Amino acid sequence: MKVGIVGVGFMGTTHVAGWAETPAQVVGFVAETQLEAEALAKQYGAKTYPNLSAMLPDVDVVDICSPTHLHLEMIQEAAAAGKHVICEKPLARTTAEAYQAVQACKKAGVQLLVAHVVRFFPEYALARNAIINGQIGKPAVLRLHRGSYRPKKPAGNWFLDEAKSGGILMDLMIHDYDYARWIAGDVLSVSAQRVTEAHPNAPVDYGLAILTHTSGAISHIAGSWAYPPPTFITRFELAGDRGLIEFDSQASAPIHNLILKSGGNDAPDVGLPSSPVSENPYTTQIKEFYAALADGKPVRLNSDDGLAAVQISEAAIQSAQSGQPVTLRSLMEA
Amino acid sequence: MKIGILSFAHHHGEAYISNLRRMENVELLGVADEDSARGTALAKQYEAHYFPSYEALLDAGPDGVIICTENNRHRPLVEMSASRGVHVLCEKPIATTYEDAKAIVDVCKNAGVILMTAFPMRFSAPLIEVKARLDNGDFGDVYCFNATNQGELPTKHRTWFVDPEFAGGGAIMDHTVHLVDIMRWFTGSEVETMYARSNRIFHAEEVEVETGALEMMTFKNKAFATIDASWCRPQYWPTWGGLTFEMVTQRGVVFVDAFRQNLNIYSHDAQRANWSYWGSDMNHTMIAEFILAFRENRPPKVTGDDGLRAVEATLAAYASLKSGRTEVVART
Repeated sequence: MKVGIVGVGFMGTTHVAGWAETPAQVVGFVAETQLEAEALAKQYGAKTYPNLSAMLPDVDVVDICSPTHLHLEMIQEAAAAGKHVICEKPLARTTAEAYQAVQACKKAGVQLLVAHVVRFFPEYALARNAIINGQIGKPAVLRLHRGSYRPKKPAGNWFLDEAKSGGILMDLMIHDYDYARWIAGDVLSVSAQRVTEAHPNAPVDYGLAILTHTSGAISHIAGSWAYPPPTFITRFELAGDRGLIEFDSQASAPIHNLILKSGGNDAPDVGLPSSPVSENPYTTQIKEFYAALADGKPVRLNSDDGLAAVQISEAAIQSAQSGQPVTLRSLMEA
Repeated sequence: MKIGILSFAHHHGEAYISNLRRMENVELLGVADEDSARGTALAKQYEAHYFPSYEALLDAGPDGVIICTENNRHRPLVEMSASRGVHVLCEKPIATTYEDAKAIVDVCKNAGVILMTAFPMRFSAPLIEVKARLDNGDFGDVYCFNATNQGELPTKHRTWFVDPEFAGGGAIMDHTVHLVDIMRWFTGSEVETMYARSNRIFHAEEVEVETGALEMMTFKNKAFATIDASWCRPQYWPTWGGLTFEMVTQRGVVFVDAFRQNLNIYSHDAQRANWSYWGSDMNHTMIAEFILAFRENRPPKVTGDDGLRAVEATLAAYASLKSGRTEVVART
């Protein structure tokens, strides 16, 4: 299996490391400029291509790690060429685009695997298994929290460009919308708020969303870009009628670094608590995608899950604008 | 100063006895309860004088009373106390309807007696610390709160907490007012809109009221907040529940876990972990403030109006459950 990766940022770099653990061969990279892709291509013995079209004839699978607003066009092009597609989350910037992406792949008979990597994190996967095994009964109220600092990228910070990334209610919180759906099923409606709606120039951002599920469960999703660097925190609390699951990335970290300042350096060696696992969840994800594409093995999410997560995000964005809850059905009818 | 306790319908009445006993220059005049069996038994247990009726207690000349009836039965006792010029500390929520809440506030204003709402969180040492830093400008503007006031099903204390008539609802009625009051106190702004969703999955077979609930509100000053009011804690969780919030400000985030000051105790007897609270007793400070307010002839730090505003926000949450929409909070 020959794979071509689009995008050489954090995600492209992470994905190629995952592919290296599979029998697949990463044959090429496409980036905004060919120059940007050269270092990674060299490291993995791959080529650089000027654009996706040029790379398509040489690959079986296209792995899209480009900014969100570029996904649809690339998916359509890859699908039209009969290539399977792996796409970073969010699948697309809007419901309409995500729907078109799903349809393009279905029509072309190619797989579309959306990289909702949280499903592959061992703590999240274990909690879901505990629920599937009935350990907490029927899920009733889910709380999911993900917090960090405002994304920084050296040049052209597309994360902070709402039109491209969807902002905090999409780009950050989509992880937990998807997880809430995985636990409690389809979502009916979303009510959301975010700091930058009323305070566009706030130095921080924070989003809150309440989801209702057809199962009767309700979910509370919180996303923070308000913590000091290098904080990264995840928490969840899954409450059912027969029990409760709690997770806190800080409380469960096996290593806490309380390191003295380095000699001659006034800056403290700030260390995040770390929680090492034997396999990077991104690698677990790529391996499962590989097995699905190479051997038809089951995979823990499909393209409709990617679409649904975009719908929830868009509903959240609309709700934060209007102050009223937004139904997912209204988005599909639009 | 002589203080009476009216009713033991709310279990806080029992705790208040020991608070009063530890205060200097304060006399527990006695207790009265419409449930004479409960009242006499608890009076005996706590060695307090039992009055055969509320009237009898009020005739004995208390300076103030603490009203601990069910949520929907505060009003007649507030009216009775106010008409005799007796100051009132009323359990929360002060009422289950707009009409009763407004009447309670008005009757005390007209009678010139103090009406204080029993919002103990105003006297939480951790919360007072955060509020002081906020007022000092350490955090800049407050943008939002991500708050929880979760608990176990409260029926182990009293069964009426899950009775829609006596309690006025379920988890939302039980848990919304505390955080609404805290956020009003912190922001100095009023709740403007409220959205709420609930379910009855926890304890579905045992109760008819909502047991799971999430609320989203906005304030006049553009701050917003969510409250998780759920009765989601299993009976075997290490404690009854808790109150937490993440306060998002211009300068970052403050996370507050108001009941975190606990020991973890593992005992052969319990066969499970238990959190034993060693933080300061807010009820004690709250009652002391009530007594100090009428001793100094000034309004208490938390008033009847605060209780009324919290009821208004809570009732807007129920209106939202019905409509499925974000509701504007109706003012009485």
